[in-house]
Amino acid sequence: MFSKIQEYEGISEYRHTGNDLRVLLAEQRTAPVVALMVVYRVGSRNEAVGHTGATHLLEHMLFKGTPTYNKKLGTQIAAVLQKHGAIFNADTWLDRTRYFEMLPSDQLELAVHLEADRMRNSFIADEDRQLEMTVVRNELERGENDPGRILDERVWAMAFREHPYHHPTIGWRSDVEGMPTSRLKEFYDTYYHPNNATVIVVGDFESERALELIGQHFGSIPRSTHSIPAMYTVEPPQQGEVRFVLRRAGQLGMVEMGWHIPEATHPDSGALSVLDHVLSAGVTSRLYQALVETRLAVDIGAQAYQFTDPGLFTIDLTLSPGIAHADAERAVGEVIERLKNEPISEKELRKAQNLITTQMIFLRDSPFGVVSVLGEFEGVSDWKLYVDLPRMVSAVSPTDIQRVVNTYFGDDNRTVGYFIPKDEQQ
Amino acid sequence: MRTSPELSLAARTRRYQLSNGAILLLLENHANPTVSISGTFRGGEFFNPPAKDGLASLTASMLNKGTSRRTKIEIAEELESAGARINFSSNTFTVSVSGQSLSRDLPMLLATAAEELRSPGFPADELVKLKERVVASIREDQDETRVRAYEQMTRIVFPAGHPCHRPPSDQLIREIESINTEDVRRFYESIYGPESLILAIVGDIEAEQVRDLVEQTIGRWEGPEPPVIDLPFTELQSAPCRESIQMRDKANCDIVIGHASRLRRSNDDYIPAVIANRALGQSTISSRLGLILRDEMGLTYGINSSFSESGIVDGPFTIGATIAPENIDLAIETSLGIVNEFITNGIRPDELADEQSSIAGTFQVGLATNGGIANQVSSVELYGLGIDYLDRFPDIVKSVTKDQVDQAIRKYIHPEVATTIVAGTLD
Repeated sequence: MFSKIQEYEGISEYRHTGNDLRVLLAEQRTAPVVALMVVYRVGSRNEAVGHTGATHLLEHMLFKGTPTYNKKLGTQIAAVLQKHGAIFNADTWLDRTRYFEMLPSDQLELAVHLEADRMRNSFIADEDRQLEMTVVRNELERGENDPGRILDERVWAMAFREHPYHHPTIGWRSDVEGMPTSRLKEFYDTYYHPNNATVIVVGDFESERALELIGQHFGSIPRSTHSIPAMYTVEPPQQGEVRFVLRRAGQLGMVEMGWHIPEATHPDSGALSVLDHVLSAGVTSRLYQALVETRLAVDIGAQAYQFTDPGLFTIDLTLSPGIAHADAERAVGEVIERLKNEPISEKELRKAQNLITTQMIFLRDSPFGVVSVLGEFEGVSDWKLYVDLPRMVSAVSPTDIQRVVNTYFGDDNRTVGYFIPKDEQQ
Repeated sequence: MRTSPELSLAARTRRYQLSNGAILLLLENHANPTVSISGTFRGGEFFNPPAKDGLASLTASMLNKGTSRRTKIEIAEELESAGARINFSSNTFTVSVSGQSLSRDLPMLLATAAEELRSPGFPADELVKLKERVVASIREDQDETRVRAYEQMTRIVFPAGHPCHRPPSDQLIREIESINTEDVRRFYESIYGPESLILAIVGDIEAEQVRDLVEQTIGRWEGPEPPVIDLPFTELQSAPCRESIQMRDKANCDIVIGHASRLRRSNDDYIPAVIANRALGQSTISSRLGLILRDEMGLTYGINSSFSESGIVDGPFTIGATIAPENIDLAIETSLGIVNEFITNGIRPDELADEQSSIAGTFQVGLATNGGIANQVSSVELYGLGIDYLDRFPDIVKSVTKDQVDQAIRKYIHPEVATTIVAGTLD
């Protein structure tokens, strides 16, 4: 029923011979719990105008029930999982949708059965959609209360003109409100099939038994009769800096900058991951030293967003009261210029590398940590990055860092947003 | 690799008293080459002197800003190079210490924690920077509807000076700005000490070796006797009250409904009360409030109830939700209707069984990590329950009856005198 594809650093990959479902198993018998995740290779990158937010709204709809698990029968998905003390949820992002639960290991079959069931049997009923739409709108409005989040959304929308990373995963408000149930159903029928999914199990179980359960419950679902549509839009190179101002009520000024960087599987990903730590991890990091220690900013962040398609490297600042946006931006510019001109020291490099590799080791403390990282990499490109990324990171040299900063941090590749609080009378 | 999860936690945990009075709890788990430390000692907000709100919090945050021997940066270089971390933060009554490292770096982690506890430098320039960041974050928090609504509720429900009473932000900022390094040092010298310290270390360790290591580092910390916590129960309000807080540019409002709970960890009916709250509103997606307001009516992304801050002393019972402005009255009325029905008819037997099973499962899942185990063993020590309490806990939960839960509901949940605050852009 399953053919073993490969085994890599204690993780086994299988493929169902009937429906092409991919399965990853990692036994970790330290506590009597097991974590299961189903990753669907569909995210907001598969949406377009009119149905932005469809993936996320659909994720909500998958908690609304199936003929087997529903409120009328007293077997509502959340209630059944809660009853066994499960930690569970689902999340949607640009490239993937993930459904997961961590629960006592004697309940593995429940998790397998429930996830298999909702892969094809979810109701996606119109009356549920109408109610859930308002829940999602409430989630969206909560986000709109947060100026940092809106600023970030705008940076992505300005930096990506053609590629669907342009729009936020939660969707544009009017799309969320107006999207008909039939469109969600169409999304479900297009992407929710075993040949577009990976089931990942980590924790206290026997592989043979897990495969038997997965075969029993997912095995009878046929592969899709259509091929899963490819997303082919490509973002052309940015030709010149983009700048904007967001002005609304708020307390502290903010600056966010973004530069286009390549996709996760690109050879420069290791160096870019190290760079985000050099810039922002801990009080010894470059941005912390240049901005927080000098009292230009109260908070800094840097993140290499590495996705299926080329992503963004962002730097964000929350300004100290009374500091001009341009002054803080200039200080960031100086940090970047220095990285362009001087290689970082071996010691600074090793610190960033150690941070990344130890973070990966700490994650293994919990089956949930392992399952979520495997799921993230699998959704973006390939689960083997779980093992390979730390290796790519270890191979990075000071000149690699200097090279990637010079390659990607050009002025014409940059988007800069200022959040300027309007005076608020309290 | 199996590390005998079948053995009871009590049998796996070694408990020692160090020569300076601190309690040390050690638990070996060789699954991963990592170690977690988690501890508390008395020194939280409750001990703030008059007109110095925020002093306890600043003092805890100053511990990793440099010692008499090394600067903040020198210490951070060492920790960050090993991918290790130590955090100090203050709570209502205690200061929490938490940290993690690869197991090979545990000696460094403990030596650093001891250095920070025993000989903090409290450099003046670091205090200036810290105060600026704290003030900025208070101002940012004031921009959040949830924070504004919750804080206003505490000001009505708890008397000034009570640790659950959140002073107005302007006052808090003024008091923080007046704090100098002498205040911090005085607070540290008069309050901080090892006698109330409970430290749990869980992970890839050899208990005997680690005991010696702790004795030579944190075991040498000296300080005054622990301060006393003596606080009467907060009386229930006598009448309900409702207020609004107007804010600009907010798409969403927050509602907080709260009253004094009179629930402490030491109350005999603590577990029945916890079960009652779980059924009523702990989970947005499966408790009563969420099932109606989110699932059936689509009014909110999140609605929860909780006995927040119930521990050493009693905190508030609260219901909180984010709601669009046009649905506020409907949401409040519906929530109160659900609560009243819950009080009248009590928990359903199937709900009770589900919550009992859920707590047992949550407990098992929570013990899956070193950090989770460390928190649990130090918490039962803090409340004087004995380590074997963790092994008995599933049975204690299972033995709770409907009658006990119903009594707890009637005793601790009082919507008739609750304070309701709405914060957001109203009209």
